[in-house]
Amino acid sequence: MKKNLKASRCIFGLVAAGCALGITFPQTAGAVVSDEDFNALKSLVQQMNGKLQSLEQTNRVDQQVIQQLQQKLAETQRTAVEAQQNSIATAQAQSAPRVPLDEATVNHNFQILGDAEIQYNKTDHQNGAFLLADFAPIFLYRGGENILFEAGFDFGLQNNAPNGGGYTTTLNLSFAQLDYVISDYLTLCAGNLVLPLGTYSERTAGWLNIFPDNPLAVDLVPGTGVGAELRGAVPLGNNGSLLNYSIYGVNGPGSADGTGNAGALDLGGNVGITSGGNNSNTHGHLVGGGRVAFFTPFKPHYDLELGLSAQTGEWDDAGKHLWSAGVLDASFHLGPNFEAKGEYIISRFGSDDLGQIQQQGWFAQAGYKLAGLNLNVPFLNNLELVGRYDSMRDGMGTSTHRYTAGYIYYLTSALLFEGDYEFIHSSDPNQPSSQFILQMSYGF
Amino acid sequence: MPMSFAVGLAVALISALAAKVGADESKPVAVTATNAVSPAATAPAKTKPAEPKKLTGAELYSIHCNRCHPERYPTERTAAQWKTIMLHMQVRAGIPGKQSKLILQYLQENSGR
Repeated sequence: MKKNLKASRCIFGLVAAGCALGITFPQTAGAVVSDEDFNALKSLVQQMNGKLQSLEQTNRVDQQVIQQLQQKLAETQRTAVEAQQNSIATAQAQSAPRVPLDEATVNHNFQILGDAEIQYNKTDHQNGAFLLADFAPIFLYRGGENILFEAGFDFGLQNNAPNGGGYTTTLNLSFAQLDYVISDYLTLCAGNLVLPLGTYSERTAGWLNIFPDNPLAVDLVPGTGVGAELRGAVPLGNNGSLLNYSIYGVNGPGSADGTGNAGALDLGGNVGITSGGNNSNTHGHLVGGGRVAFFTPFKPHYDLELGLSAQTGEWDDAGKHLWSAGVLDASFHLGPNFEAKGEYIISRFGSDDLGQIQQQGWFAQAGYKLAGLNLNVPFLNNLELVGRYDSMRDGMGTSTHRYTAGYIYYLTSALLFEGDYEFIHSSDPNQPSSQFILQMSYGF
Repeated sequence: MPMSFAVGLAVALISALAAKVGADESKPVAVTATNAVSPAATAPAKTKPAEPKKLTGAELYSIHCNRCHPERYPTERTAAQWKTIMLHMQVRAGIPGKQSKLILQYLQENSGR
Protein backbone atom coordinates (compact mmCIF):
# COMPACT_ATOMS: atom_id res chain seq x y z
CA MET A 1 0.00 0.00 0.00
CA LYS A 2 2.78 2.42 0.97
CA LYS A 3 4.71 1.57 -2.23
CA ASN A 4 1.77 2.57 -4.33
CA LEU A 5 1.54 5.85 -2.49
CA LYS A 6 5.23 6.53 -3.06
CA ALA A 7 4.97 5.76 -6.78
CA SER A 8 2.02 8.00 -7.08
CA ARG A 9 3.88 10.86 -5.46
CA CYS A 10 6.88 10.38 -7.80
CA ILE A 11 4.68 10.45 -10.84
CA PHE A 12 2.95 13.55 -9.63
CA GLY A 13 6.35 15.06 -9.12
CA LEU A 14 7.53 14.28 -12.60
CA VAL A 15 4.37 15.59 -14.20
CA ALA A 16 4.56 18.72 -12.16
CA ALA A 17 8.21 19.19 -13.07
CA GLY A 18 7.40 18.73 -16.75
CA CYS A 19 4.64 21.28 -16.59
CA ALA A 20 6.88 23.68 -14.79
CA LEU A 21 9.57 23.26 -17.44
CA GLY A 22 7.06 23.82 -20.21
CA ILE A 23 5.88 27.02 -18.65
CA THR A 24 9.21 28.27 -17.55
CA PHE A 25 11.27 27.74 -20.75
CA PRO A 26 10.89 30.44 -23.40
CA GLN A 27 9.15 29.84 -26.72
CA THR A 28 12.40 29.90 -28.40
CA ALA A 29 13.41 26.80 -26.60
CA GLY A 30 10.41 24.99 -28.20
CA ALA A 31 11.79 25.75 -31.56
CA VAL A 32 14.72 23.47 -30.98
CA VAL A 33 12.51 20.47 -30.04
CA SER A 34 11.80 18.25 -32.95
CA ASP A 35 8.40 16.80 -33.72
CA GLU A 36 9.75 13.40 -33.02
CA ASP A 37 10.93 14.36 -29.59
CA PHE A 38 7.72 16.20 -28.97
CA ASN A 39 5.66 13.17 -29.92
CA ALA A 40 7.89 10.92 -27.86
CA LEU A 41 7.46 13.23 -24.90
CA LYS A 42 3.74 13.45 -25.53
CA SER A 43 3.51 9.71 -25.67
CA LEU A 44 5.46 9.48 -22.45
CA VAL A 45 3.16 11.99 -20.78
CA GLN A 46 0.13 10.07 -21.98
CA GLN A 47 1.56 6.82 -20.67
CA MET A 48 2.26 8.45 -17.37
CA ASN A 49 -1.21 9.90 -17.31
CA GLY A 50 -2.63 6.40 -17.86
CA LYS A 51 -0.48 5.02 -15.12
CA LEU A 52 -1.56 7.90 -12.92
CA GLN A 53 -5.21 7.13 -13.51
CA SER A 54 -4.57 3.44 -12.86
CA LEU A 55 -2.80 4.27 -9.64
CA GLU A 56 -5.57 6.62 -8.58
CA GLN A 57 -8.07 3.81 -9.19
CA THR A 58 -5.94 1.44 -7.19
CA ASN A 59 -5.64 4.01 -4.51
CA ARG A 60 -9.43 4.40 -4.24
CA VAL A 61 -9.86 0.64 -3.95
CA ASP A 62 -7.13 0.56 -1.34
CA GLN A 63 -8.85 3.33 0.59
CA GLN A 64 -12.08 1.36 0.62
CA VAL A 65 -10.25 -1.74 1.79
CA ILE A 66 -8.59 0.32 4.49
CA GLN A 67 -11.93 1.66 5.67
CA GLN A 68 -13.43 -1.82 5.78
CA LEU A 69 -10.48 -3.13 7.70
CA GLN A 70 -10.70 -0.24 10.13
CA GLN A 71 -14.39 -0.97 10.69
CA LYS A 72 -13.64 -4.63 11.29
CA LEU A 73 -10.87 -3.68 13.64
CA ALA A 74 -13.20 -1.40 15.59
CA GLU A 75 -15.80 -4.16 15.83
CA THR A 76 -13.18 -6.63 16.95
CA GLN A 77 -11.98 -4.21 19.59
CA ARG A 78 -15.54 -3.66 20.84
CA THR A 79 -16.12 -7.39 21.03
CA ALA A 80 -12.85 -7.83 22.87
CA VAL A 81 -13.77 -5.11 25.38
CA GLU A 82 -17.22 -6.61 25.95
CA ALA A 83 -15.76 -10.06 26.37
CA GLN A 84 -13.29 -8.69 28.85
CA GLN A 85 -16.01 -6.90 30.80
CA ASN A 86 -18.15 -10.02 30.86
CA SER A 87 -15.23 -12.05 31.98
CA ILE A 88 -14.52 -9.63 34.80
CA ALA A 89 -18.16 -9.58 35.88
CA THR A 90 -18.36 -13.35 35.83
CA ALA A 91 -15.17 -13.66 37.79
CA GLN A 92 -16.45 -11.18 40.36
CA ALA A 93 -19.78 -13.02 40.68
CA GLN A 94 -18.00 -16.31 41.16
CA SER A 95 -15.56 -15.03 43.66
CA ALA A 96 -18.15 -13.12 45.77
CA PRO A 97 -19.49 -15.12 48.74
CA ARG A 98 -23.07 -16.44 48.24
CA VAL A 99 -25.50 -14.42 50.27
CA PRO A 100 -27.53 -16.93 52.27
CA LEU A 101 -31.28 -16.66 51.87
CA ASP A 102 -32.83 -15.69 55.15
CA GLU A 103 -35.89 -17.91 54.98
CA ALA A 104 -37.45 -16.22 57.93
CA THR A 105 -37.97 -13.15 55.79
CA VAL A 106 -39.79 -14.96 53.02
CA ASN A 107 -43.20 -13.38 52.69
CA HIS A 108 -45.09 -16.33 51.31
CA ASN A 109 -44.70 -19.92 52.30
CA PHE A 110 -46.46 -23.17 51.49
CA GLN A 111 -46.40 -25.95 54.02
CA ILE A 112 -47.97 -29.36 54.48
CA LEU A 113 -48.81 -30.86 57.83
CA GLY A 114 -51.07 -33.76 58.60
CA ASP A 115 -51.14 -37.40 59.45
CA ALA A 116 -51.57 -40.84 57.99
CA GLU A 117 -52.94 -43.99 59.58
CA ILE A 118 -53.31 -47.63 58.83
CA GLN A 119 -55.56 -49.65 61.09
CA TYR A 120 -56.23 -53.30 61.81
CA ASN A 121 -59.59 -54.03 63.39
CA LYS A 122 -61.07 -57.15 64.94
CA THR A 123 -64.67 -56.80 65.99
CA ASP A 124 -66.45 -59.69 67.67
CA HIS A 125 -68.44 -61.89 65.31
CA GLN A 126 -66.56 -60.41 62.38
CA ASN A 127 -63.32 -61.31 60.66
CA GLY A 128 -60.27 -59.29 61.49
CA ALA A 129 -59.13 -57.01 58.70
CA PHE A 130 -56.99 -54.07 57.82
CA LEU A 131 -59.79 -51.61 58.08
CA LEU A 132 -58.40 -48.21 57.44
CA ALA A 133 -55.82 -46.59 55.22
CA ASP A 134 -56.13 -42.90 55.75
CA PHE A 135 -54.11 -39.93 54.58
CA ALA A 136 -55.08 -36.56 56.00
CA PRO A 137 -52.88 -33.71 54.80
CA ILE A 138 -53.33 -30.12 55.93
CA PHE A 139 -52.20 -27.52 53.43
CA LEU A 140 -51.04 -24.22 54.84
CA TYR A 141 -50.37 -21.17 52.73
CA ARG A 142 -49.08 -18.09 54.51
CA GLY A 143 -49.35 -14.77 52.74
CA GLY A 144 -47.35 -12.19 54.64
CA GLU A 145 -47.38 -11.74 58.37
CA ASN A 146 -51.02 -12.20 59.21
CA ILE A 147 -52.85 -14.13 56.51
CA LEU A 148 -53.09 -17.88 56.48
CA PHE A 149 -55.13 -20.20 54.33
CA GLU A 150 -55.49 -23.69 55.67
CA ALA A 151 -57.33 -26.66 54.25
CA GLY A 152 -57.51 -30.22 55.48
CA PHE A 153 -58.29 -33.23 53.34
CA ASP A 154 -59.02 -36.80 54.18
CA PHE A 155 -58.23 -39.53 51.68
CA GLY A 156 -59.67 -42.92 52.53
CA LEU A 157 -60.78 -46.20 51.05
CA GLN A 158 -64.38 -47.40 50.96
CA ASN A 159 -65.15 -51.00 50.12
CA ASN A 160 -67.93 -51.32 47.54
CA ALA A 161 -69.26 -54.68 48.75
CA PRO A 162 -71.92 -55.98 48.93
CA ASN A 163 -73.31 -53.84 46.13
CA GLY A 164 -70.24 -53.93 43.90
CA GLY A 165 -66.67 -55.01 43.52
CA GLY A 166 -63.43 -53.31 44.37
CA TYR A 167 -63.22 -50.17 46.40
CA THR A 168 -63.69 -46.46 46.05
CA THR A 169 -61.20 -43.84 47.06
CA THR A 170 -62.97 -41.21 49.09
CA LEU A 171 -61.79 -37.64 49.37
CA ASN A 172 -63.29 -35.36 51.96
CA LEU A 173 -62.57 -31.68 52.44
CA SER A 174 -62.36 -31.69 56.19
CA PHE A 175 -62.07 -27.93 56.48
CA ALA A 176 -60.93 -24.95 54.44
CA GLN A 177 -60.62 -21.56 56.05
CA LEU A 178 -58.95 -18.23 55.62
CA ASP A 179 -57.45 -16.74 58.78
CA TYR A 180 -56.74 -13.04 59.06
CA VAL A 181 -54.86 -12.09 62.21
CA ILE A 182 -56.22 -8.65 63.01
CA SER A 183 -54.21 -8.16 66.19
CA ASP A 184 -52.36 -10.20 68.80
CA TYR A 185 -55.72 -10.90 70.39
CA LEU A 186 -58.17 -11.15 67.53
CA THR A 187 -58.36 -13.28 64.39
CA LEU A 188 -61.05 -13.38 61.75
CA CYS A 189 -61.67 -16.79 60.20
CA ALA A 190 -63.98 -17.55 57.30
CA GLY A 191 -64.79 -20.63 55.26
CA ASN A 192 -65.51 -24.18 56.22
CA LEU A 193 -64.51 -23.75 59.85
CA VAL A 194 -63.45 -26.28 62.42
CA LEU A 195 -66.00 -25.47 65.09
CA PRO A 196 -64.84 -24.85 68.66
CA LEU A 197 -67.55 -26.97 70.22
CA GLY A 198 -65.27 -28.45 72.81
CA THR A 199 -61.67 -28.95 71.76
CA TYR A 200 -61.83 -32.40 70.24
CA SER A 201 -62.34 -31.38 66.59
CA GLU A 202 -59.71 -28.70 66.78
CA ARG A 203 -56.99 -30.25 68.88
CA THR A 204 -57.54 -33.92 69.51
CA ALA A 205 -58.70 -35.60 66.32
CA GLY A 206 -56.53 -37.75 64.08
CA TRP A 207 -52.89 -38.17 65.02
CA LEU A 208 -53.36 -35.93 68.04
CA ASN A 209 -55.77 -38.44 69.53
CA ILE A 210 -54.21 -40.96 71.88
CA PHE A 211 -56.85 -43.48 70.74
CA PRO A 212 -57.43 -44.86 67.25
CA ASP A 213 -61.11 -43.94 67.22
CA ASN A 214 -63.26 -41.01 68.28
CA PRO A 215 -65.22 -40.79 71.50
CA LEU A 216 -68.87 -41.67 70.91
CA ALA A 217 -70.21 -38.35 72.15
CA VAL A 218 -68.40 -36.17 69.62
CA ASP A 219 -70.93 -37.37 67.04
CA LEU A 220 -73.53 -35.30 68.86
CA VAL A 221 -72.07 -32.02 67.59
CA PRO A 222 -70.88 -30.97 64.13
CA GLY A 223 -67.12 -30.84 63.62
CA THR A 224 -67.27 -28.11 60.99
CA GLY A 225 -69.58 -25.42 59.72
CA VAL A 226 -69.54 -22.93 56.85
CA GLY A 227 -69.45 -19.34 58.01
CA ALA A 228 -67.30 -16.76 59.77
CA GLU A 229 -65.68 -16.59 63.16
CA LEU A 230 -63.90 -14.16 65.43
CA ARG A 231 -61.51 -15.76 67.86
CA GLY A 232 -58.48 -15.01 69.92
CA ALA A 233 -56.65 -15.23 73.19
CA VAL A 234 -56.06 -12.64 75.88
CA PRO A 235 -53.12 -13.15 78.27
CA LEU A 236 -53.89 -12.94 81.97
CA GLY A 237 -50.84 -12.04 84.01
CA ASN A 238 -47.29 -13.06 83.27
CA ASN A 239 -47.37 -16.77 84.03
CA GLY A 240 -48.86 -17.77 80.68
CA SER A 241 -52.48 -17.87 81.80
CA LEU A 242 -54.92 -16.78 79.16
CA LEU A 243 -58.52 -16.43 78.22
CA ASN A 244 -59.58 -18.02 74.94
CA TYR A 245 -62.72 -16.92 73.17
CA SER A 246 -64.48 -17.45 69.89
CA ILE A 247 -67.80 -16.45 68.43
CA TYR A 248 -69.13 -17.55 65.09
CA GLY A 249 -72.08 -17.64 62.73
CA VAL A 250 -72.52 -20.60 60.38
CA ASN A 251 -75.20 -22.22 58.26
CA GLY A 252 -75.70 -24.72 61.03
CA PRO A 253 -77.45 -28.06 60.94
CA GLY A 254 -80.08 -28.72 58.29
CA SER A 255 -82.68 -31.22 57.32
CA ALA A 256 -81.61 -34.08 55.05
CA ASP A 257 -85.05 -34.41 53.48
CA GLY A 258 -86.62 -31.04 54.19
CA THR A 259 -88.88 -32.32 56.95
CA GLY A 260 -88.69 -31.68 60.64
CA ASN A 261 -88.59 -35.37 61.57
CA ALA A 262 -85.92 -36.33 64.06
CA GLY A 263 -84.22 -38.74 61.70
CA ALA A 264 -83.70 -35.98 59.14
CA LEU A 265 -81.38 -33.94 61.36
CA ASP A 266 -78.18 -33.39 59.39
CA LEU A 267 -75.42 -31.87 61.50
CA GLY A 268 -72.80 -31.59 58.79
CA GLY A 269 -74.58 -31.33 55.46
CA ASN A 270 -75.61 -27.71 55.44
CA VAL A 271 -73.02 -26.68 52.84
CA GLY A 272 -73.21 -25.06 49.41
CA ILE A 273 -76.02 -25.73 46.95
CA THR A 274 -78.51 -28.53 47.40
CA SER A 275 -79.24 -31.06 44.68
CA GLY A 276 -82.44 -29.10 44.06
CA GLY A 277 -80.45 -26.00 43.17
CA ASN A 278 -81.29 -24.10 46.35
CA ASN A 279 -79.04 -22.62 48.96
CA SER A 280 -78.39 -25.31 51.50
CA ASN A 281 -79.48 -23.10 54.36
CA THR A 282 -83.15 -23.66 53.67
CA HIS A 283 -84.27 -22.83 57.19
CA GLY A 284 -83.60 -19.19 56.50
CA HIS A 285 -81.45 -18.16 59.43
CA LEU A 286 -77.84 -18.56 60.34
CA VAL A 287 -77.00 -20.11 63.67
CA GLY A 288 -74.59 -18.73 66.24
CA GLY A 289 -72.16 -20.22 68.69
CA GLY A 290 -68.99 -19.64 70.62
CA ARG A 291 -66.57 -20.81 73.23
CA VAL A 292 -64.86 -19.27 76.19
CA ALA A 293 -62.05 -21.00 78.06
CA PHE A 294 -59.54 -20.36 80.80
CA PHE A 295 -56.05 -21.84 80.59
CA THR A 296 -53.45 -21.62 83.30
CA PRO A 297 -50.03 -23.25 83.49
CA PHE A 298 -48.55 -23.83 86.92
CA LYS A 299 -45.20 -24.36 85.26
CA PRO A 300 -44.16 -25.87 81.92
CA HIS A 301 -46.00 -29.17 81.35
CA TYR A 302 -48.28 -28.57 84.31
CA ASP A 303 -51.52 -26.89 83.31
CA LEU A 304 -55.28 -26.83 83.46
CA GLU A 305 -57.81 -25.72 80.86
CA LEU A 306 -61.54 -25.38 81.33
CA GLY A 307 -63.85 -24.42 78.49
CA LEU A 308 -67.53 -23.88 77.84
CA SER A 309 -69.01 -23.75 74.36
CA ALA A 310 -72.46 -23.67 72.83
CA GLN A 311 -74.35 -23.34 69.56
CA THR A 312 -78.01 -22.74 68.84
CA GLY A 313 -80.24 -22.09 65.84
CA GLU A 314 -82.94 -23.44 63.58
CA TRP A 315 -82.40 -26.69 61.76
CA ASP A 316 -85.56 -27.72 59.87
CA ASP A 317 -86.70 -26.10 56.61
CA ALA A 318 -89.83 -24.68 58.17
CA GLY A 319 -87.75 -23.01 60.85
CA LYS A 320 -89.98 -24.34 63.57
CA HIS A 321 -87.38 -26.24 65.54
CA LEU A 322 -84.14 -25.28 67.23
CA TRP A 323 -81.06 -27.39 67.54
CA SER A 324 -78.91 -26.39 70.50
CA ALA A 325 -75.82 -27.89 72.06
CA GLY A 326 -73.49 -27.16 74.93
CA VAL A 327 -70.07 -28.60 75.66
CA LEU A 328 -68.01 -28.48 78.82
CA ASP A 329 -64.39 -29.41 78.20
CA ALA A 330 -61.42 -29.85 80.50
CA SER A 331 -57.82 -30.91 80.11
CA PHE A 332 -55.12 -31.38 82.69
CA HIS A 333 -51.39 -32.01 82.41
CA LEU A 334 -49.38 -33.13 85.39
CA GLY A 335 -45.85 -33.12 84.10
CA PRO A 336 -44.67 -34.19 80.67
CA ASN A 337 -45.87 -37.75 81.23
CA PHE A 338 -49.46 -37.48 82.37
CA GLU A 339 -52.47 -35.95 80.73
CA ALA A 340 -56.20 -36.20 81.23
CA LYS A 341 -58.96 -34.80 79.05
CA GLY A 342 -62.68 -34.96 78.98
CA GLU A 343 -65.82 -33.40 77.56
CA TYR A 344 -69.44 -33.40 78.51
CA ILE A 345 -71.78 -32.80 75.57
CA ILE A 346 -75.47 -32.17 75.61
CA SER A 347 -77.72 -31.33 72.68
CA ARG A 348 -81.42 -30.74 72.33
CA PHE A 349 -83.61 -30.32 69.28
CA GLY A 350 -87.28 -30.24 68.43
CA SER A 351 -88.86 -32.52 65.84
CA ASP A 352 -92.22 -33.05 64.15
CA ASP A 353 -92.49 -36.74 64.92
CA LEU A 354 -90.76 -37.24 68.26
CA GLY A 355 -91.11 -33.87 69.87
CA GLN A 356 -88.26 -32.54 71.98
CA ILE A 357 -85.19 -34.80 71.91
CA GLN A 358 -82.30 -34.52 74.32
CA GLN A 359 -79.01 -36.21 73.63
CA GLN A 360 -76.00 -36.34 75.85
CA GLY A 361 -72.69 -38.03 76.25
CA TRP A 362 -69.28 -37.59 77.73
CA PHE A 363 -65.82 -39.01 77.72
CA ALA A 364 -62.84 -38.95 80.01
CA GLN A 365 -59.45 -40.19 78.93
CA ALA A 366 -55.99 -40.30 80.42
CA GLY A 367 -52.52 -41.31 79.34
CA TYR A 368 -49.33 -41.93 81.26
CA LYS A 369 -45.91 -42.21 79.66
CA LEU A 370 -43.83 -44.80 81.50
CA ALA A 371 -40.75 -42.67 81.01
CA GLY A 372 -42.01 -40.92 84.12
CA LEU A 373 -41.09 -43.96 86.19
CA ASN A 374 -37.39 -43.37 85.41
CA LEU A 375 -36.81 -47.09 85.00
CA ASN A 376 -34.21 -46.44 82.36
CA VAL A 377 -35.51 -49.28 80.21
CA PRO A 378 -35.58 -48.11 76.59
CA PHE A 379 -38.66 -50.13 75.67
CA LEU A 380 -40.67 -48.85 78.61
CA ASN A 381 -39.48 -45.30 78.14
CA ASN A 382 -41.22 -45.28 74.76
CA LEU A 383 -44.49 -46.67 76.05
CA GLU A 384 -47.61 -44.80 77.11
CA LEU A 385 -50.57 -46.49 78.73
CA VAL A 386 -53.98 -45.04 77.94
CA GLY A 387 -57.52 -45.49 79.21
CA ARG A 388 -60.87 -44.01 78.29
CA TYR A 389 -64.48 -44.18 79.30
CA ASP A 390 -67.14 -42.75 77.04
CA SER A 391 -70.87 -42.96 76.74
CA MET A 392 -73.70 -41.58 74.67
CA ARG A 393 -77.48 -41.47 74.80
CA ASP A 394 -79.07 -40.52 71.50
CA GLY A 395 -82.41 -39.49 73.04
CA MET A 396 -84.29 -41.96 70.88
CA GLY A 397 -83.83 -45.04 72.95
CA THR A 398 -80.22 -46.06 72.39
CA SER A 399 -77.64 -45.88 75.10
CA THR A 400 -74.01 -46.96 74.72
CA HIS A 401 -71.14 -47.18 77.18
CA ARG A 402 -67.61 -48.08 76.27
CA TYR A 403 -64.42 -48.82 78.19
CA THR A 404 -61.13 -48.66 76.35
CA ALA A 405 -57.68 -49.67 77.50
CA GLY A 406 -54.59 -49.54 75.37
CA TYR A 407 -51.06 -48.39 74.74
CA ILE A 408 -49.01 -46.19 72.48
CA TYR A 409 -45.50 -47.18 71.55
CA TYR A 410 -43.54 -44.18 70.31
CA LEU A 411 -41.24 -45.42 67.58
CA THR A 412 -40.34 -41.76 67.22
CA SER A 413 -42.07 -38.69 68.57
CA ALA A 414 -44.14 -38.66 65.36
CA LEU A 415 -44.52 -42.37 64.50
CA LEU A 416 -46.90 -44.16 66.84
CA PHE A 417 -47.89 -47.80 67.11
CA GLU A 418 -51.13 -48.04 69.06
CA GLY A 419 -53.23 -50.90 70.33
CA ASP A 420 -56.59 -50.75 72.11
CA TYR A 421 -59.21 -53.12 73.38
CA GLU A 422 -62.75 -51.85 73.79
CA PHE A 423 -65.57 -53.24 75.87
CA ILE A 424 -68.89 -52.01 74.55
CA HIS A 425 -72.27 -52.12 76.29
CA SER A 426 -75.12 -50.91 74.17
CA SER A 427 -78.89 -51.15 74.12
CA ASP A 428 -78.56 -51.41 70.35
CA PRO A 429 -78.31 -55.13 69.55
CA ASN A 430 -76.40 -54.37 66.37
CA GLN A 431 -73.50 -52.93 68.31
CA PRO A 432 -70.55 -55.28 68.94
CA SER A 433 -69.63 -56.11 72.50
CA SER A 434 -65.91 -55.80 72.01
CA GLN A 435 -63.38 -54.56 69.54
CA PHE A 436 -59.64 -54.79 69.14
CA ILE A 437 -57.76 -52.14 67.16
CA LEU A 438 -54.13 -51.84 66.12
CA GLN A 439 -53.00 -48.67 64.43
CA MET A 440 -49.84 -47.24 63.00
CA SER A 441 -50.03 -43.47 62.71
CA TYR A 442 -47.61 -40.85 61.59
CA GLY A 443 -47.89 -37.15 62.14
CA PHE A 444 -45.98 -34.82 59.86
CA MET B 1 -83.30 -11.14 64.00
CA PRO B 2 -82.60 -11.38 67.77
CA MET B 3 -79.85 -13.90 66.99
CA SER B 4 -78.26 -11.57 64.45
CA PHE B 5 -78.44 -8.71 66.91
CA ALA B 6 -76.88 -10.81 69.65
CA VAL B 7 -74.07 -11.95 67.37
CA GLY B 8 -73.40 -8.37 66.26
CA LEU B 9 -73.37 -7.12 69.83
CA ALA B 10 -71.01 -9.86 70.92
CA VAL B 11 -68.67 -9.15 68.01
CA ALA B 12 -68.59 -5.48 68.93
CA LEU B 13 -67.87 -6.26 72.58
CA ILE B 14 -65.07 -8.66 71.73
CA SER B 15 -63.51 -6.20 69.31
CA ALA B 16 -63.64 -3.46 71.93
CA LEU B 17 -62.14 -5.77 74.55
CA ALA B 18 -59.35 -6.83 72.22
CA ALA B 19 -58.56 -3.23 71.35
CA LYS B 20 -58.53 -2.21 75.03
CA VAL B 21 -56.23 -5.04 76.03
CA GLY B 22 -53.91 -4.13 73.18
CA ALA B 23 -53.89 -0.51 74.31
CA ASP B 24 -53.22 -1.53 77.92
CA GLU B 25 -50.31 -3.75 76.96
CA SER B 26 -48.77 -0.97 74.94
CA LYS B 27 -48.38 1.16 78.09
CA PRO B 28 -46.28 -0.96 80.47
CA VAL B 29 -44.09 2.01 81.45
CA ALA B 30 -47.02 3.99 82.77
CA VAL B 31 -48.12 1.09 84.93
CA THR B 32 -44.63 0.71 86.37
CA ALA B 33 -44.44 4.40 87.14
CA THR B 34 -47.73 4.25 89.00
CA ASN B 35 -46.43 1.39 91.10
CA ALA B 36 -43.21 3.23 91.80
CA VAL B 37 -44.91 6.12 93.59
CA SER B 38 -47.27 3.98 95.61
CA PRO B 39 -46.78 4.07 99.41
CA ALA B 40 -45.66 0.49 99.50
CA ALA B 41 -43.02 1.10 96.92
CA THR B 42 -41.63 4.22 98.62
CA ALA B 43 -41.51 2.78 102.14
CA PRO B 44 -37.83 2.87 103.19
CA ALA B 45 -37.94 -0.38 105.11
CA LYS B 46 -39.09 -2.39 102.13
CA THR B 47 -37.18 -3.17 99.00
CA LYS B 48 -38.73 -2.53 95.62
CA PRO B 49 -40.66 -5.63 94.56
CA ALA B 50 -38.98 -7.55 91.80
CA GLU B 51 -40.67 -7.36 88.45
CA PRO B 52 -42.45 -10.58 87.60
CA LYS B 53 -40.31 -12.80 85.43
CA LYS B 54 -41.47 -12.94 81.84
CA LEU B 55 -41.72 -16.33 80.23
CA THR B 56 -39.17 -17.12 77.55
CA GLY B 57 -39.95 -18.57 74.15
CA ALA B 58 -38.59 -21.94 75.26
CA GLU B 59 -40.85 -21.95 78.32
CA LEU B 60 -43.88 -20.95 76.28
CA TYR B 61 -43.00 -23.67 73.79
CA SER B 62 -43.05 -26.21 76.62
CA ILE B 63 -46.28 -24.81 78.00
CA HIS B 64 -48.31 -24.72 74.79
CA CYS B 65 -47.04 -27.40 72.40
CA ASN B 66 -47.35 -30.31 74.79
CA ARG B 67 -51.01 -29.51 75.40
CA CYS B 68 -52.05 -31.29 72.21
CA HIS B 69 -49.19 -33.35 70.87
CA PRO B 70 -45.67 -34.60 71.56
CA GLU B 71 -43.23 -31.73 71.26
CA ARG B 72 -41.54 -31.48 67.90
CA TYR B 73 -37.86 -30.68 67.64
CA PRO B 74 -37.06 -27.19 66.35
CA THR B 75 -34.59 -28.76 63.92
CA GLU B 76 -37.42 -30.60 62.14
CA ARG B 77 -38.36 -27.48 60.20
CA THR B 78 -36.76 -24.47 58.62
CA ALA B 79 -37.22 -20.95 59.89
CA ALA B 80 -39.77 -20.13 57.18
CA GLN B 81 -41.69 -23.31 57.83
CA TRP B 82 -41.90 -22.57 61.54
CA LYS B 83 -43.25 -19.12 60.75
CA THR B 84 -46.14 -20.62 58.81
CA ILE B 85 -46.74 -23.38 61.33
CA MET B 86 -46.78 -20.98 64.26
CA LEU B 87 -49.35 -18.80 62.52
CA HIS B 88 -51.45 -21.95 62.15
CA MET B 89 -50.92 -22.86 65.81
CA GLN B 90 -51.66 -19.33 67.00
CA VAL B 91 -55.10 -19.61 65.44
CA ARG B 92 -55.81 -23.26 66.12
CA ALA B 93 -54.49 -23.54 69.68
CA GLY B 94 -55.53 -20.06 70.76
CA ILE B 95 -52.09 -18.63 71.57
CA PRO B 96 -51.82 -14.84 72.03
CA GLY B 97 -49.81 -13.12 69.31
CA LYS B 98 -46.93 -11.99 71.51
CA GLN B 99 -46.50 -15.44 73.02
CA SER B 100 -46.67 -16.98 69.58
CA LYS B 101 -43.89 -14.65 68.38
CA LEU B 102 -41.66 -15.64 71.32
CA ILE B 103 -42.18 -19.31 70.58
CA LEU B 104 -41.45 -18.65 66.91
CA GLN B 105 -38.25 -16.85 67.81
CA TYR B 106 -37.13 -19.82 69.89
CA LEU B 107 -37.98 -22.27 67.12
CA GLN B 108 -36.27 -20.22 64.42
CA GLU B 109 -33.12 -19.72 66.45
CA ASN B 110 -32.88 -23.47 66.86
CA SER B 111 -34.35 -24.46 63.49
CA GLY B 112 -32.85 -26.82 60.95
CA ARG B 113 -31.75 -23.95 58.70
